[in-house]
Amino acid sequence: MLKDITLGQFFPGDSILHRTDARIKILMLVVYLVFVLCAKTAFAFGFVVIATGLLVIISEIPLKTVLKSLKPLLFVLLFTAVINLFFANGDNILWQWKFIKIYREGIENAVKMVIRLTSLVTGTSVLLTYTTSPLDLTDGIERLLMPLKKIGVPVHDFAMMMSIALRFIPTLIEETDKIISAQKARGADFESGNVFARAKALIPVLVPLFVSAYRRAFELAEAMECRCYRSGVGKTRMKVIKTRPADYIFLGMSIIACIGIFFLNQVVIPL
Amino acid sequence: MAFIKADKLTYTYEGNLVPAVKEVSLSFEKGSYTAIIGHNGSGKSTLAKLLCGIFTPTGGKVLIDGMDTADEDNQAPIREKCGMVFQNPDNQIVSSVVEEDVAFAPENLGVEPAMIRKAVDEALAAVGMTEYALHSTYKLSGGQKQRIAIAGILAMNPQCIVFDEATAMLDPAGRREISDTMRKLNDRGITVITVTHHMNEAAMADRIVVMNKGEVAMDGTPRDIFARVDELRKLSLAVPQVTELLYDLGLPAALHAMEAADVIEKEIKKKCL
Repeated sequence: MLKDITLGQFFPGDSILHRTDARIKILMLVVYLVFVLCAKTAFAFGFVVIATGLLVIISEIPLKTVLKSLKPLLFVLLFTAVINLFFANGDNILWQWKFIKIYREGIENAVKMVIRLTSLVTGTSVLLTYTTSPLDLTDGIERLLMPLKKIGVPVHDFAMMMSIALRFIPTLIEETDKIISAQKARGADFESGNVFARAKALIPVLVPLFVSAYRRAFELAEAMECRCYRSGVGKTRMKVIKTRPADYIFLGMSIIACIGIFFLNQVVIPL
Repeated sequence: MAFIKADKLTYTYEGNLVPAVKEVSLSFEKGSYTAIIGHNGSGKSTLAKLLCGIFTPTGGKVLIDGMDTADEDNQAPIREKCGMVFQNPDNQIVSSVVEEDVAFAPENLGVEPAMIRKAVDEALAAVGMTEYALHSTYKLSGGQKQRIAIAGILAMNPQCIVFDEATAMLDPAGRREISDTMRKLNDRGITVITVTHHMNEAAMADRIVVMNKGEVAMDGTPRDIFARVDELRKLSLAVPQVTELLYDLGLPAALHAMEAADVIEKEIKKKCL
């Protein structure tokens, strides 16, 4: 199951989204989050689905990969859907059995919540992590946060830490898998018992994982020092980042879409 | 003049009483190819880290191209001159894209973008990984990852590369890739120092230094060292299998299979005639 987590992974490619300036993509992501979170009506949600679908298409990331990244979220999605379904209050009772009542508002909320969560995850991965290499991402964040440097925030270090964290996600997932297998071979039981027993069973996995992550960090620091890392002092980049007109058009389009949502929220179609 | 010169080098880890490296004096010529061998805990890895300036000696000194590694001001120029490849390839790759990882060192050094591009392309070509430039580092094999790590060091155009058990975590195919690369780099004039457990790899070097309990036990050409099978066994070290076979048969020493074949052929001819 752990192998399925594609969160934070980068898929090298040459799509329009891959070529877009990382700074623009970060800004677009902010706009996109507002866009998704502000949608209220069915019409607006339809628009969210179309926009997210378009993003996936222009990213040229295979649909299968995108769907795979949603798999670990399945439980969360089901959980929110069920909660929304049974615990919403409204005026239109559709179905009733003893104390369980299902309202039309409940169904609507459940559907909206699922669309919202799926779009958030898909949008974030497609816009940023799948199509932006960690170093570009670091650079983008660093440049965007540059003003904070004046008040003494270590912007470069922060950005570097983030990109390394992203780079190590697959490595640590692989390691977790190995430790779980090793503990299983020693008779550890991860599948039975209640929630607390299972959580407790994870301690023998987390401790070695932390120890090894710590050791990795130490070695990585040594290796980075060997390659003349000086915390961003006098650093240049191999790829010169240029914001092209197309990037601004992209950003403009996403802002327009975001404003559009507020208008769409006004359109109420009687269901 | 020697490129790296160690003079009565001593290093004690914090909290330890016994030094890991004791009064070692060695010198390495420019363009030489040396293997350091020894059993676990013999101080060979510590020695390697001292020789390229990652550790500062607690006694004695190391001069790299005339610069003392203990001097803070020399740190930056030493890093540029002398790179190190570590054991675990996963823990030395910074980026998830091959060419970006290779570009890390020259970027840190503030090289012009066009020159970085050139350095990266050359480094990738030198380790035979050009076609993987845009691949994701995560999906490569161990040997490929290690070659990327070597390219990452090569991109800053160092004069010396120290390999700290760089092949220990690789399968036989990966090991061969890396030792071939070492040989190639040495042919280009780069000083190579490799710390290794694998005797076949050590046999490829021009010189072998055997470490034991923090001291240099033997120092000589592979032919000299591997001829002293009994002494090596006392230090719980093996010799290459072919060498051991010929030694046990009481025949002259050989380092490689082809050489051994020649020796055996000669012996058979002698017996038949």
